[in-house]
Amino acid sequence: MNVPAPVVTLVSSEGSERGGKPMDSSASVRPILKFEKVGFQYDGRAIMRDVSFAIRPGELVAVLGPSGCGKTTILNMVAGFLQPTEGVAIIDGQEITGPGPDRGVVFQAAALYDWMTVADNISFSLRCAGRPKAERRRVALEMAALVNLTGFEDAYPYQLSGGMRQRVGLARVLAAKPKVMLMDEPFSALDVQTREVLQEEVLRIRDRTGCTILFVTHSIDEAVFLGDRIFLLTDLTDGAYDEFAIDLPSPRANSENRLHPAFLRLRETIYRKMRH
Amino acid sequence: MISAKSQAKRRYVALAILSPLTILLVWTLLTAKGAVAPIILPSPAAVTASFLDMVQRGYSGVGIWTHVGASLARVGIAFFAGGTLGIAIGLLRGRIAEIDALFLVPSEIVRPIPPLGLIPLFILWFGIGETSKILLIFLSVFLIMMVNAQAGSRSCAVDALRAAQSMGANRWQIFRFVVLPSALPQIMTGLRVSMGTALTILVASELLGGDRGLGFIILDASSFFRTTYVFAGIILIGFIGLVSDRTIAFLARRIVHWEGRR
Repeated sequence: MNVPAPVVTLVSSEGSERGGKPMDSSASVRPILKFEKVGFQYDGRAIMRDVSFAIRPGELVAVLGPSGCGKTTILNMVAGFLQPTEGVAIIDGQEITGPGPDRGVVFQAAALYDWMTVADNISFSLRCAGRPKAERRRVALEMAALVNLTGFEDAYPYQLSGGMRQRVGLARVLAAKPKVMLMDEPFSALDVQTREVLQEEVLRIRDRTGCTILFVTHSIDEAVFLGDRIFLLTDLTDGAYDEFAIDLPSPRANSENRLHPAFLRLRETIYRKMRH
Repeated sequence: MISAKSQAKRRYVALAILSPLTILLVWTLLTAKGAVAPIILPSPAAVTASFLDMVQRGYSGVGIWTHVGASLARVGIAFFAGGTLGIAIGLLRGRIAEIDALFLVPSEIVRPIPPLGLIPLFILWFGIGETSKILLIFLSVFLIMMVNAQAGSRSCAVDALRAAQSMGANRWQIFRFVVLPSALPQIMTGLRVSMGTALTILVASELLGGDRGLGFIILDASSFFRTTYVFAGIILIGFIGLVSDRTIAFLARRIVHWEGRR
């Protein structure tokens, strides 16, 4: 098995690269999501300053870090729930000013609407956009099939298990055909087996739809298994974070990857970096 | 094979029926032995006789169903109006801070005032006709529903709201599809509570005067120590309360089908 060793790139606040592969921000592909010197203050305290990154279309970037490191704040800024106090967040060339279906969010607790059926939950974004009933139904069935929930379209969320609810959460975001899918520790509340199955589902869906994903997690295993790149955050007050490019065999939606030597090596590297 | 669930349900229904029957039995025994003076506690038979008498000959020159209808109309109008307005304003107060600020002091000052205390004022302002009775009941229902609706509209989880925003919902859509359904459980509870209160105040409101209604029967009969008629009136009101409460509870379970199932 000849797998290139995973590469570590340390990105400093000046944006220059030190060692290893240069950070891929321009080249041939225009980034779908960009942070340019973004800062965020809360209660007078700077949570982050001078954070910059670029994400390519179709990429799955895992944002990894302990609680309180600012990873959810980054996600919230991309989602538009929070506004940067400095710098600018850009989606597909336009500044992010608020929430929208182009940046759908999958929450940790699904946050589905118990008073609507699974199909209505999935097609909610279309309903808000005024799409006709027939189209909404068609999309709902399509998305339910995509997340392997065929047959449950007319059930209610409270009749489903936690894993199934998260599938609905995924489906409703996908139904809006987002530019970037934001996932905020979506599987942390699930048991390990369900979590692993859903991780593979996410990769399979990404391969099928080509959608870009920003995945926030505190689990190293999850980040390594899912990510094309990992942003490892510890302290963002000077904008510095560690970046890892993952090179596991394709297709990634393969549970065997969890036992791959490259996987284990990368896990170790990241673990040591987190603990140093 | 009877499942555990239907067994539990049978037990529930059995006890629910046995309990009032037991009370009836104790009541019959107490009065049969002559342990209590009939003027204080008449026998069930005597109360039934009075009730049948009212059905046949009415009370105070007015048919029993006219009395019942008069009371139901008062409660019905006040409940519907007070409920609708209370829910509307409560929901608004929960979402729009300015409206909440406007209503805060007036509503909190009026709320603790007992309806009985307002009767002399209402007589002065609105006379002793239907208006003051309906207004009295309306006020209580309105205040209870406003509090419940406000609490309900605030009970919406932040993530549920954010999810809606992220799916492109505008303010009205968020209200209609997320806030309102989230508030329904609390609203249904409020409806049950305010219906009970409305019936209580109904009797008080009929102190304002007038010549018909169940409250009128109770008050008129008690002033003449016709205890059997007092009991008949009370039981009738109680029965109306039971039916209306169960109806609202049934509707609540149908409308808010997701509550208690998570």
